[in-house]
Amino acid sequence: MTLALQLAVAGLATGSVYALIALGIVLIYKCSGVVNFAQGAYAMLGAYASYVLLSAGLPAVLAVLASMGVMAGVGALTERLVLRPMLKAPVVAVMMVTLGLLICARAACLAVFGPDQIAFPPVFPEGAVSAGGIFVTYNYIAAGILAAVLSLGFLLFYARTPMGLMQRCAADNSRAALAIGIHVSNQVSAAWAMSAALAGLAGTLLATLNGLSLGLADIGMVAFPVVVVGGLSSLEGALVAGLVLGVLQSFTDGLLTPALEDVLRANTGIYSVGALQQVLPYALLVLMLLLRPQGLFGRRGAERI
Amino acid sequence: MAAPLPAEAGAVALTAQNVTIRFGGVVAVAGMALDATPGEIVGLIGPNGAGKTTFVNCICGTYRPNAGTALWLGRELLGLSPHALLKLGVARTFQNVASLHDLTVLDIAKLGAAVRAGSGGFFASEKALEAELTETLLRPLHLADVAHTPIQTLPYGRRKAADLARALAAQPQLLLLDEPVAGLTSQEGMAMAAVIRGVRDRFGCAVIMVEHKMDVVMSTCDRIAVMAAGSKIFEGLPEEVQSDAEVQRVYLGEPG
Repeated sequence: MTLALQLAVAGLATGSVYALIALGIVLIYKCSGVVNFAQGAYAMLGAYASYVLLSAGLPAVLAVLASMGVMAGVGALTERLVLRPMLKAPVVAVMMVTLGLLICARAACLAVFGPDQIAFPPVFPEGAVSAGGIFVTYNYIAAGILAAVLSLGFLLFYARTPMGLMQRCAADNSRAALAIGIHVSNQVSAAWAMSAALAGLAGTLLATLNGLSLGLADIGMVAFPVVVVGGLSSLEGALVAGLVLGVLQSFTDGLLTPALEDVLRANTGIYSVGALQQVLPYALLVLMLLLRPQGLFGRRGAERI
Repeated sequence: MAAPLPAEAGAVALTAQNVTIRFGGVVAVAGMALDATPGEIVGLIGPNGAGKTTFVNCICGTYRPNAGTALWLGRELLGLSPHALLKLGVARTFQNVASLHDLTVLDIAKLGAAVRAGSGGFFASEKALEAELTETLLRPLHLADVAHTPIQTLPYGRRKAADLARALAAQPQLLLLDEPVAGLTSQEGMAMAAVIRGVRDRFGCAVIMVEHKMDVVMSTCDRIAVMAAGSKIFEGLPEEVQSDAEVQRVYLGEPG
């Protein structure tokens, strides 16, 4: 029971980081109709930006905020320089370009920072709390709470503020939004900027948990199952699916894998089942596409492609 | 919310001249001219295909005319985006209300206010704004009871009222209405006409109204311009329109 609780807390922490990245993917999909494969690149770039700023001696809060600012700029630039010229291109072509951006960003980071994992400077205080028999480091608590608060804050922004309302209208029907006087292209830029900033923060948080490496870009690939399970156009879905997936991964890693390996070792020659938790998101993705293609919260036929 | 532009009563606020637009070989609007002063409701009538909506589309940024000027308080309107026009106090409603799946009636009204205010109202108090919009716009338009209903689920008449609420929330000084009562029952139409007059009385804005229903036009408008085949063939008081032979020939005499 204690182990389950321990795993649940760790799962919720990583899950809220997944949600943060998935929210960005959904936001961009809603307003541009593009599934942005570069979201993982934003996470990685954000983490490296935080690393550079922290190494330069900036206070942790300032460094993380500045890296989010930089990533917002990167997101807006992507929209202006890459997406806008391709406005009339087929959606698939635009998606391929975002995939290309991911590869380019990875190559650039490889050239600058090298292939090795880098120890991330401490952002949160060292130490851990133990309560009710479970033991959680401050890192996990801070990352989980920060990601959850930001995700919820973002949902509130989208639902409650005038700018969120304009974004919703632009995402709903961009031609109508244009006709009633919404500056749609500015709203799309803003959506890309926000998505990139959120992903950048998520990347930084992941780096505080697992260290800094090029592998951070792969988080985008985990975020896609999250987005599909939640429903491609549902922000709430991304949040819920992110948390669920985080917890499921954590349970798979801590409970299912050891149990399965015990059985297999006793009865067969198989010694290890590998990193089963990494397979889980995609298994869930396939299952969801077979059973409920619109996702948990998606609307049937809401796809714009 | 942005301060309204100064609009002197009696002064001509909108002067459109020689507005011309061609689609391929078809001249949809040919040298159309129209004035409007603050506090005045100008009716724009004419047979189907006369170019009324196209003219309105030229004024409010949907189309870019091939020639002409439209000065509004000394500023050229032609070629501006709907976004820029709203900042100048020019708002419009649509013949067919666009489909917006996720938004409620109150959202639509809030959009009007938000677009006029720009992103400046980022942290504006939503509660106060919602209460104000409900009292000043939704209640007079009989929309208060459906404020939180998704607009897509409402009947046509109420969607049109919501579209008008959206335009009014932008606090326009020039309001362009494209067939505000078309498709409404005559009861709904008369209610809408009363609302339009009420809006004019309260905000003192200039209103240009494209409409087919003659009873509404006659009882609502202070001045009427008649279009046929892309240009103005008559302009005058409502009672003069009915007696003009040319107007009767091209328009009133025709069935439908």
